[in-house]
Amino acid sequence: MSDETEIERGDAMIAAEYALGLLLEGEELLMARGRMATDADFAADVTQWEKRLAPLLDEVAPMVPSAEVWARIEDRVEAQRAAQAEAELSGGGGAAANVVMLEHRVRRWQWTAALTSTAAAVLFGFIAITGNRTPVIVPVNNPPEQIAEADPLVAQVPIGETGLRLDVTYIPESERMLVGAIGLTADGVHDHELWLVPADGSALQSLGVVAPGEVRSMELPENVTRNMGEGVQLVLTREPIGGKPEGVDAGPVVAEGAFSQV
Amino acid sequence: MAAKSTPASTEAREALRSAMVRLGEGDSAALEQIYSATRVKLFGICFRILGDQKEAEDALQDVYVNLWQRAGRYDPERASPISWLATFARNRAIDRLRTGKVRGGAVAVEEAAPLPDAAPLADQMMIDGERAARVHTCLEQLDDPARSNIRAAFFDGSTYAQLAESADVPLGTMKSWIRRGMLKLRTCLEAGE
Repeated sequence: MSDETEIERGDAMIAAEYALGLLLEGEELLMARGRMATDADFAADVTQWEKRLAPLLDEVAPMVPSAEVWARIEDRVEAQRAAQAEAELSGGGGAAANVVMLEHRVRRWQWTAALTSTAAAVLFGFIAITGNRTPVIVPVNNPPEQIAEADPLVAQVPIGETGLRLDVTYIPESERMLVGAIGLTADGVHDHELWLVPADGSALQSLGVVAPGEVRSMELPENVTRNMGEGVQLVLTREPIGGKPEGVDAGPVVAEGAFSQV
Repeated sequence: MAAKSTPASTEAREALRSAMVRLGEGDSAALEQIYSATRVKLFGICFRILGDQKEAEDALQDVYVNLWQRAGRYDPERASPISWLATFARNRAIDRLRTGKVRGGAVAVEEAAPLPDAAPLADQMMIDGERAARVHTCLEQLDDPARSNIRAAFFDGSTYAQLAESADVPLGTMKSWIRRGMLKLRTCLEAGE
């Protein structure tokens, strides 16, 4: 009975474990969430398990929450609705609030990425990934002036529902970008690569591999800085160690966010 | 038990389903209707997993605010609304547990969830109606230690590591127990599908 051999753990088992809530390691959870978004078979397996297990929740003793809870929900919904309305009025800036639109863009991006993996591989050349996975940025001697506003752009890229996130800050004056990945841990098997999604729909640009648990500062080349702006989106993909290999499609999108002006 | 679909329970489920559809179409007023019909069940689930009144209330807020944002994801053709919501609430509560804000592990069964007000129970029974689902039988048919550990993972949000520790066995052993149990559970469930 106390057999210690690990039984084979195929995708079906991973789906079962995910549905049960057992995939708690950050990386495993990230992978599973990424696959929920990009792998229809996996998502269907998870959903099937969730459906099968849901009737068990009838066993849980019901409880009445305190009366204030509804008021707080209403407040939050109202606040978000106001923010959305404002963003829509101000035109274009509401991308981050507009989840539907964001999902739409990401889907479009995934499609574009599949078509332009060669182009992406070429773009990838400007940030070489060294053995120790530090993004090495080709310095640019003539700072361009594409961004008039000198205010920093910030983006938060929440990682699934884990409560963890990437904090990305871009300072136009210096063409420097800070990527904070505090709280994330490396699993030794995967890296996560951050990409800029140019607003003009052109191929996405790698911003390098994220260093888990650290805040990294990097200088960006002109062909990236010219695409920086309010509302510009970022996506995070899961890749093999060292980042997306040349000539291969990018891995699944595990997180996304958008820049906004401070 | 109260498993049969009475006309009243069917009606309650359909009312909930239609409120979910309306919410998905952008009718925010539907949220309050969904809240009153489901809060007692969903709060029970959040409390069971988080074991703390305040955390459970925060999780409950997140559940409904998230629901408002993402109601479009609910597919009325494919899932019973209360099962879908219960799963949604459990997943949110587990997420919260995993972000480390709360102590691991949950309430012991004996101290779990006194119901301060019995009246909502009747409402809730109307929309449940899944007590005869096969999964109950299949889970009961599993042998220990698989059964008790799968139950602990499901109801308390316990991790492999916590389960291994409390059973005082190596992590690999616990994983094998649970994985074998899940395979058996699936075989049993599939036999009834």
